[in-house]
Amino acid sequence: MGKDSEKTILTNEKNLNFFKDEKTGLANTQELPRKTFVGRIPTVQHAFLEIMDEEKRRIILGEDDLIIGRTSECDIQIMANNVSRRHARISYSNEEYRIEDLESTNGIYVNGVKVERCVLRKHDVLEIGGIKILFIEEKIRQDNDNKKE
Amino acid sequence: MTTRKNDKMLVTFWGTRGSISTPGRITEKYGGNTPCVSIRFNDTQIILDAGTGIRNLGVELVEEIKREDNPTLLHLFLSHTHWDHIQGLPFFLPSYHKNTKLIIYGSHRKERFLASILKEQMDFDYFPVSMSSFAADISIREMNDKVIQIGPLVIDWQEQVYHPGGSVRYKISTNGNKIVYATDVELNRMFDNLKDNDINENLARDYMNFISDADLLIADAQYTEEEYPEKVGWGHSSVHVLLDIAFKSNVKQLAVFHHDPQHSDKFLDDLWMENRSKYSSKDRKMDVFWAREGMTLAI
Repeated sequence: MGKDSEKTILTNEKNLNFFKDEKTGLANTQELPRKTFVGRIPTVQHAFLEIMDEEKRRIILGEDDLIIGRTSECDIQIMANNVSRRHARISYSNEEYRIEDLESTNGIYVNGVKVERCVLRKHDVLEIGGIKILFIEEKIRQDNDNKKE
Repeated sequence: MTTRKNDKMLVTFWGTRGSISTPGRITEKYGGNTPCVSIRFNDTQIILDAGTGIRNLGVELVEEIKREDNPTLLHLFLSHTHWDHIQGLPFFLPSYHKNTKLIIYGSHRKERFLASILKEQMDFDYFPVSMSSFAADISIREMNDKVIQIGPLVIDWQEQVYHPGGSVRYKISTNGNKIVYATDVELNRMFDNLKDNDINENLARDYMNFISDADLLIADAQYTEEEYPEKVGWGHSSVHVLLDIAFKSNVKQLAVFHHDPQHSDKFLDDLWMENRSKYSSKDRKMDVFWAREGMTLAI
């Protein structure tokens, strides 16, 4: 059956009655062409850090390393006394984000555990110099509005 | 004063799940790979168990091996040879790399030689590649010496009886820091009826001496107290029994390990929340956490 004739059967009300169960009056479930299942909805993985300092910032993570620290040279600057000048690195490899301590004075914590390095999972709570940072990861549909620039 | 990184042992969890690997969405946080932990102290590298988690460690190590001119020396200590502790070995990439020297240590108290047990795992009926295909220089040692010295690391070990077929616990020390790896042991049976049982009293004392003052104890608590009665004799401990004994032994940090395959991330999160602050007194605090794959601590 060709494309057009398929469309005709599905949209013509008269023909739809043909598929109805005589007893219940409900339409029978129709088998969809296989190609319907093959298509793919483009998605993109997004990850953010929500920094719970006075500014309450949201930082979008990409594939480049980011340095967190107190100085203005850092990619993410946190102005808190207990944060070291270069405190931690966020990196991306094998489709995963990691955090690594850069020999900071006060260390880094993931969900309250002091770590040297750690692969991050969604909703992990990081702590750097007393500042809490929430790691969020989500997959969203990539359409015209959401396309990465 | 800050401690320099090279004064510390770096402990990485590559597999934390017990019994069988459990991939899937509900286990991605704590991980689905079976036991493997690496300890690195500068150039000295120790691996504890070769569960499926060792595959990812191998992927990372082989990149280093390729960059090195000199052979890389790796020491693999097996707690025992149940599947979940050896099944990753055939997938450990450094084994297939010429520039690797791998020494595998295990108990001498098995009925069969450790070498033949490991070779049989790679028998053609189970796996298409035999152990003789390993290009690395491999030696397999059944431990006799009470203490093994590897560079700056001292490795102490003891046999554990309350696990089917037995298992071995290890203590790794350097610079006054101690890490104990004591998985696959049923502490509930060891610490039961101590007053009426001399054997258990001795075993319990040995256990507590071994773990006492550990900076990090990695230990099995596969079951909750509610689950344990149906698992008696299976060779694993329950959460509260482990936590009580560790606290009494002055353990500073406890990584609960060998997670049950049925326990989801949420289940383990809830267990952790319920227990994390119970073990602290005015004088001291024991940090408790549930070990997860991809986490590295400096000890």
